[in-house]
Amino acid sequence: MSDHKVWPTGLTEAESEELHRHIVQGTQFFGMIAAFAHLLAYIYSPWLK
Amino acid sequence: MIYGKMWLVVKPSVGVPLIIAAVAVASFSVHLAILNNTTWVKAFLNGNADKVAVSAPAAAK
Repeated sequence: MSDHKVWPTGLTEAESEELHRHIVQGTQFFGMIAAFAHLLAYIYSPWLK
Repeated sequence: MIYGKMWLVVKPSVGVPLIIAAVAVASFSVHLAILNNTTWVKAFLNGNADKVAVSAPAAAK
């Protein structure tokens, strides 16, 4: 019942949770690439040496 | 999921670009600050990092 309630942003609770899952997943993907890029920078540049 | 309901009160068309822009600005400014407050990044990007890093103080004198 409450699942079908449309909130002021135009989303239902299920839609909000689904969008949030994608955003969190995207953040994790971005974070992993960033961590890998920093690892490469640490290895191949004079950073912290 | 924690904070999964935030999009019930924050419009995704506002919130998502805001988060992406905040990350982009923060990331850019940190890298710019490092570029402007260290000597080795510029030297490294110029190539011959060792040579430039060694000869730069001598050239400044």
